Amino acid sequence: MRTPAAEPTAEIWERPQLARHVVRDLGGGRRESMLLLEGVRCASCVMAIERALSAEPGVVGVQVNAASRRGRIAWNAAETSLPRLLEVLSGIGYRALPLDAAALDDVRRHESKAAQKRLLVAGFGAMQAMMYAAVLWFGGDGSLDPAGRDLFRWIAFLVATPVVFYSARPFFAGALRSLKARRPGMDVPVAIAVAGIYAASLIEALRGGTHVYFESVSMFVFFLLIGRYVEMRARHRAGDLTDALARLTPPFADRRLADGGLERVGIRELAPGDRVHVADGGVIPADGVLVNEQCLVDEALLSGESAPAPRRRGERLVAGSVLVAGPAELEVEAVGDDTVLAGIAELVGRAQAARPRLAQAGERAASRFVVRVLALALLTAAGWVFVDPSRAFTAALAVLVVSCPCAFALAVPVAVTRALAVLARRGVLVVKPDAIEALAGATHAVLDKTGTLTEAELVLERVQARRGFAPADAVRLAAALARESRHPAARAIAAACTRCVDGASGVAALAGLGVRGIVGGRELRLGRADFALGLDGPAADDEDAVLLADDDGVIAAFHLSERLRPDAAAAVDALRGQGVEVSIASGDSAGKVRAVAARLGIREWRARQLPADKLARLTVLREQGARVIAVGDGVNDAPVLGGADIAVALAEGAELTQATSDVVLSGGRLTNLPRARLVALRTLDILKQNQRWALVYNFAAVPLAALGFVPPWLAALGMSFSSLVVVLNAMRIGRDAERGQSPAPVVTELAPRVRAA
Amino acid sequence: MNVLLVMIPLSLLLLVGAAAAFFWAVDHDQFDDMDTPALLPLDENS
Repeated sequence: MRTPAAEPTAEIWERPQLARHVVRDLGGGRRESMLLLEGVRCASCVMAIERALSAEPGVVGVQVNAASRRGRIAWNAAETSLPRLLEVLSGIGYRALPLDAAALDDVRRHESKAAQKRLLVAGFGAMQAMMYAAVLWFGGDGSLDPAGRDLFRWIAFLVATPVVFYSARPFFAGALRSLKARRPGMDVPVAIAVAGIYAASLIEALRGGTHVYFESVSMFVFFLLIGRYVEMRARHRAGDLTDALARLTPPFADRRLADGGLERVGIRELAPGDRVHVADGGVIPADGVLVNEQCLVDEALLSGESAPAPRRRGERLVAGSVLVAGPAELEVEAVGDDTVLAGIAELVGRAQAARPRLAQAGERAASRFVVRVLALALLTAAGWVFVDPSRAFTAALAVLVVSCPCAFALAVPVAVTRALAVLARRGVLVVKPDAIEALAGATHAVLDKTGTLTEAELVLERVQARRGFAPADAVRLAAALARESRHPAARAIAAACTRCVDGASGVAALAGLGVRGIVGGRELRLGRADFALGLDGPAADDEDAVLLADDDGVIAAFHLSERLRPDAAAAVDALRGQGVEVSIASGDSAGKVRAVAARLGIREWRARQLPADKLARLTVLREQGARVIAVGDGVNDAPVLGGADIAVALAEGAELTQATSDVVLSGGRLTNLPRARLVALRTLDILKQNQRWALVYNFAAVPLAALGFVPPWLAALGMSFSSLVVVLNAMRIGRDAERGQSPAPVVTELAPRVRAA
Repeated sequence: MNVLLVMIPLSLLLLVGAAAAFFWAVDHDQFDDMDTPALLPLDENS
């Protein structure tokens, strides 16, 4: 992939070793792949691609995002194949690469280098052409003889030519491509204007006419290129997180051979079950279990916590974390796309490939706008032919140049992409981009208690055994059942007796109630009092204890203690400060929920809520017109989260990828929620500003140009300026909030170091 | 004014030279990473 000459043909993606890394099996014969599309610049390119691919038999889904230049395609393996789809894309003029971190990096570097060169040539050209134009303007009073004038004109022609034929090539290529796809984009008016001004000036110079516009055309191209360059940088930066994540894993690993020696292998060659040695300071190459006594790892990318964490024998290490004190020997459990790291990158990538409703509306508007501007330019020319034919051409050019569809088309993608990147850097992974809109508009927040407001880990504080059971025996029996459930209470009981070996049979876990099963030939129930005792109504006694009971009654009561998350109070206060009503809906007992609510100053709380109750509560709230954020751990309460306007999951480490939600707060920091909401509000603000700006600018500039008040060079300046305003305005998202906070772009800071290693 | 006939071609030559130097720099990855080199002297490991 390093050199363009060695570019692989489409068929290479059929090879199973490669396909494994770029194609995902969705089941039922359906496959999915993420593509990186070269040459996607605007809304209409996106539509052209989506139209071409959707027309292809076997394609079941296409999503293209212009801002990140990523496309997600799902297809039916029986009807079509990845090489076939890539051929379709190249047929309409887009080169697509199935996404893989190395390929992405190369395309980017190539794009950025070409843009730098084009920008410099255009800059030099514009500067020089302007100088010679100044001579022509000020020499126009007769001090310059016709021979001298022609000399300066031809020199200006000389410097403008590389600008038009080299620097402006992307505009011509883009225009050609979008015409081929019958979807005129923003490149079309630009290309027509550049070619028009250049050709008209050349004809004038040959004829010895009154005006040449070589400096206008150079300036026009230069400013447009600046706009494109800034946009490209923003786009690259937005994609940085995904790539940084993908790049974090080292390319090589040291595999332990059967004779105890080490062999250096590519990371793709590792398989589950391999034993890998990682030296001090190295990066963990794959997810696995620590085999030696202990080590110290920095898992900043997962938890956001920069303090190194100790890991003991048998504990999990995740790919991409840095070994601070080692060495470590680990047994590989998951490699490549199955690792937690790949899961996170996939989450972020999924959000970037999906286009929010906002963006779709913006793109339709931009496309309509282009067609109108072309029509308006023609009208202007026609009108001037009657008034003053000599100015018809200049005025029509000015209309083409000054109108700025870019501002419309860029407003949404730039703002949303920037917001996603800002949020991701602060440990908020947005899975569904519509979430930004929903987050900003939310009026209520319904929080789960266990694992959300309180720490996920409970501790077994006290055991009250009844009916002559020894506490140790009671724990042993309870642990056998508890091991079968992932509820925090069950985990605490299971953790209290790690050496217990009793097995349970016929186990059934009932969400929100407890676990039932047969241990040692006796049917036992562990859970809420009413469930354990087989009652219908809630039991008054022992209400905040977990009970273990059989058919004869209670065997033991387990008292668990829980701690509030250290940032729970701050998060709740911040949310209330933003005008969001906060309430708690918990499956736990009234006593415990009341205590937590009182400590946080939350007035509205509901206890003993089953998932169905919570869902019903959300439905009622939404029917009353509230827009609800549901916050939970994303695993146990997935169905509840699905019923909210926006689902937020608090997840740590390995659970990140299982979370079904629109937004994931990684590292378990609850205060990130109000912060994310602020960023979302700001994003919508900026978006509105940008759209309003584009509207005002175009309404002001286009009529002036049509009336002939705007010379082409000023039009070029106006258009570039308008695009720049939109892009730079979007860059403000996240900037003001960053002040006074510790910068934590751990991932992005690590990336260059890893790359250099 | 005749001096212009020397100075203008000379300025164009310099321009081409500057552009060539910039192209060389871009092709040799001089602008690829604008952040890390500034921090490298502070890193004890490199």
